[in-house]
Amino acid sequence: MKIMGVGNASREHAIAEALERSKYNPKVFWLAEIRNPGIFYICKKTGGDFSLSKTTEPDKVASYAERWGVDFVIVGPEEPNFHGVPDELEKRGIPCVGANKEVAMIEMSKAEMRRLQWEYGIKGKLLFKTFKSSQDAYTVLERYSDTLTWLQNVALKPARQAGGKGVKVVEDQQLYLHDEKQRFKSRHADWLEGYMKSYSDIDDKILVEEKVWGPEYTLQCFTDGKCIKGMPLVQDNKHAHEFDIGTETGGMGSISGPSFNLPFITKEEYEESLEIVKSLVQAIQEKTGKSYHGIVAGQMMLTEIEGPTIIEMYSRFGDPEALNVLSILKTDFVDICLAILDGKLSNLKVEFDEKATVVKALAPKGYPDYRELAKNHLVSVDEKAIRQEGCKFYWGSANLSENGEILSAGSRLVEILAIADDIQEASRMIDNCIPYVKLSDGWGLFYRSDIGSHELLSKRIDVANRVRRLYQYRRDKGILGKRIDWLPKVGKMDPVALLKSELSKSKGED
Amino acid sequence: MAGIFGFYAFGEGRENWDSKNFIYYGLSSLQGRGQEAASFAVYNHEVKSLKWIFGDGLVEDVFERIKRDDVKGFLGIGQVSTEKGDYVIKVEEPIQLALVGDGKPALHENRQVSFQIFAEMLSKEIDEKKDPIDAAKNLIKEVKGGYSFIALTKDQKMICGRDIHGIKPLEVGAIGFDIGAIASESSALDVIGAEHSGYIRPGEVVTLDPLSIERRSFSNKTAYCSFEYVYLARPDSYLNSIPVGKVREMIGKRLAEENPVKADVIIGVPDTAIPFSMAYSEHSDIPVRLGFTRTGRHVRSAIKPSQFERIVGVQLKLNPIKTSVDGKEIILIDDSVVRGNTLRNTVYNIKRKGAKKVHVRVGSPPLIARCPFGTEVPQEDELIGRALSNDEIAEIIGADTFAYLSIEGLIESVGLPKSSLCLGCFTGKYPEGSL
Repeated sequence: MKIMGVGNASREHAIAEALERSKYNPKVFWLAEIRNPGIFYICKKTGGDFSLSKTTEPDKVASYAERWGVDFVIVGPEEPNFHGVPDELEKRGIPCVGANKEVAMIEMSKAEMRRLQWEYGIKGKLLFKTFKSSQDAYTVLERYSDTLTWLQNVALKPARQAGGKGVKVVEDQQLYLHDEKQRFKSRHADWLEGYMKSYSDIDDKILVEEKVWGPEYTLQCFTDGKCIKGMPLVQDNKHAHEFDIGTETGGMGSISGPSFNLPFITKEEYEESLEIVKSLVQAIQEKTGKSYHGIVAGQMMLTEIEGPTIIEMYSRFGDPEALNVLSILKTDFVDICLAILDGKLSNLKVEFDEKATVVKALAPKGYPDYRELAKNHLVSVDEKAIRQEGCKFYWGSANLSENGEILSAGSRLVEILAIADDIQEASRMIDNCIPYVKLSDGWGLFYRSDIGSHELLSKRIDVANRVRRLYQYRRDKGILGKRIDWLPKVGKMDPVALLKSELSKSKGED
Repeated sequence: MAGIFGFYAFGEGRENWDSKNFIYYGLSSLQGRGQEAASFAVYNHEVKSLKWIFGDGLVEDVFERIKRDDVKGFLGIGQVSTEKGDYVIKVEEPIQLALVGDGKPALHENRQVSFQIFAEMLSKEIDEKKDPIDAAKNLIKEVKGGYSFIALTKDQKMICGRDIHGIKPLEVGAIGFDIGAIASESSALDVIGAEHSGYIRPGEVVTLDPLSIERRSFSNKTAYCSFEYVYLARPDSYLNSIPVGKVREMIGKRLAEENPVKADVIIGVPDTAIPFSMAYSEHSDIPVRLGFTRTGRHVRSAIKPSQFERIVGVQLKLNPIKTSVDGKEIILIDDSVVRGNTLRNTVYNIKRKGAKKVHVRVGSPPLIARCPFGTEVPQEDELIGRALSNDEIAEIIGADTFAYLSIEGLIESVGLPKSSLCLGCFTGKYPEGSL
């Protein structure tokens, strides 16, 4: 069997490893934009091949698949999905585990995803507004925040999935700090407008959503379009630095287990979350008439207003979340891929080990906002020592050059994974490995020692308990999902009704 | 003593933040830790340098004097202090830096001088070591005392740390994806809308720079200041992950258990003893009543400088409500007793308004020794708890009975082993190697 993968991050290294483990002993072929050393060696070892190419050009990717004569392709990252790589492969008769362009819209356009959710009445929604320019955004933010109170506490995002960048959360709860926050909102809207200029495939530029708080978690699923199978829950940590401080990253580390669920999410909440993801997949299939076959993931949060709530959707595995689940997957990964492609997922039992897993990423200083600084540092890793600590090691944004040297490529350089009986133990195992990864020129690497620590885990549990009390109160009262204001001289104000009428009006205009 | 605060913005667009008002509200919430001087320093990216602002008085007084737009910066640190003239430390050479500190490094008798020396050492050490985290680590290893500090260099580095025992607190929080905030107490983080995310460990250094946050810790000792939990910190704060409000409830419960007495009404002396009195009531089935109304601004009487001011402070602070005390047997709960005169005054006031009996209970053990770590406990010969027995004190202040919380009661209320606390002002014994 020949299988081809696309992409070059740690997630793809983990996918390649899952393929390599298969009882089918497939030859692994790979197309990537940088030479990830881990994937490169797996290709060599299994008798496959590795090539460098742009992964967002469907023609190029499909040509490689034809040339190599692979049985099917699995796409790792989101951008090839957005550009229609799976579509082109299928057009040429090559099966592909990966969301087709039209269904991948649920990830590409955060605005479209929300519209779909409201249109189909799927639970776990947030109020939102989209804007084509920063001027529009702050006119509305400034002028209407008295009548639409949710506009005071918002997340400002690029309307398109843009490599996990550009999200700012501004909570304007302290009236005495209002000016500071308002100014920052306007400046960030400007920044977003500029940033979105590089994306021409979407009309909406800026997305403003109501700010929510609560514990976040990622629910990754396999789907063949008819059946959805949820994987163990994972929690990613988006803040760059210790103490949950700093810029949003792709994820600095993630935890799962020790059972199928996370310690701070109930079984019911898991089921509800799965139902939400399922409904959304059904909705996008219905809307586009296309089948969704591949990986889908809900980046969720438990919120006061809605209970389990979608923050964003992924049309692929999360990174680092892929590592947590693939490392404890008991079922043969190739069998799962085949079941997805044959539409027979419901017949397959997908099983995972009941273990805790922790992943931590190491990134060169400069990531994520000043990536030039993080690039082109010579890397040295003692993989043997890491294995001796009982951990697994995945290459990420690392480029193997012709002469065998490995250079950092600007993003998360490596990810280290540990499997143990509890999360804290796994976390400690990884911390022991940190000295074994170095940049030879002495440039600093950073990582988060606090991920998986008792302190951080207790904090998550505490937040979850508080937010659960609030949404259950709403559920008991029958007001889950309701948002009502009363404004002096205006009276009751229902932002949900307002949003719905706006949405149906703009639909009429289409 | 002092309250300290730091504000650090991260990521692209960080220069859009102005730290000044965050510092203002952060320091305002720490006002109880020092009301005699307020000061701050910010890093201004336009002039690529630090700017200092300082003055005597309350935070609002000092901030009123500055023209708001003069001082702008997306990084900043600030301090309130119990001593006039005790401002953010300035060091120009070899590395320009500003430093705020709580407690006292054991470098000089005087707190300010001590921190001045400390800041100069830090500047030199950074200049030699280049890496500020190593520099600060070496310094903490070397310099004894009980202190926490936040320094800000001209190179946009913020360096925070605690002495090896962690005597003085330092808490950490975050706002969104942008701001890291450091403060003596977590309540300052709440007030600026930050999420409280943890605390700096004893002997730990945390550095914040535009590209990373680093932590380095080498101490395995712990001796948190127990007086923080009894008196200094706000009840809405968490210190070292221990909720102060909860400790105060435990103390109230212990008081009810250790020295029970029959009475009609419980009254707490505002503000610190209010939670003691409520918990005492809950565990004794004696009702708690509002005993006093305050006039004017909140004044913390135990750390006011002069005797006269203290009495004025207490008289203004505490006008008894006659109907709460008239014809009743009262349990009066206070947080601490230093010299006894304010308590004497209070007992006198409520007896004059008709209280039949007054049983005084104190939510801390007797203060018998000085604090070498900057908390203004008076000279040892001025401490009534060191000089006199409970019965003698009762006689002098005009109370019918008088009792302190036991040391064991305090330790159990905090919920940490004795060896993890500094109990110096109650025992005269200070953490090993701290002096």
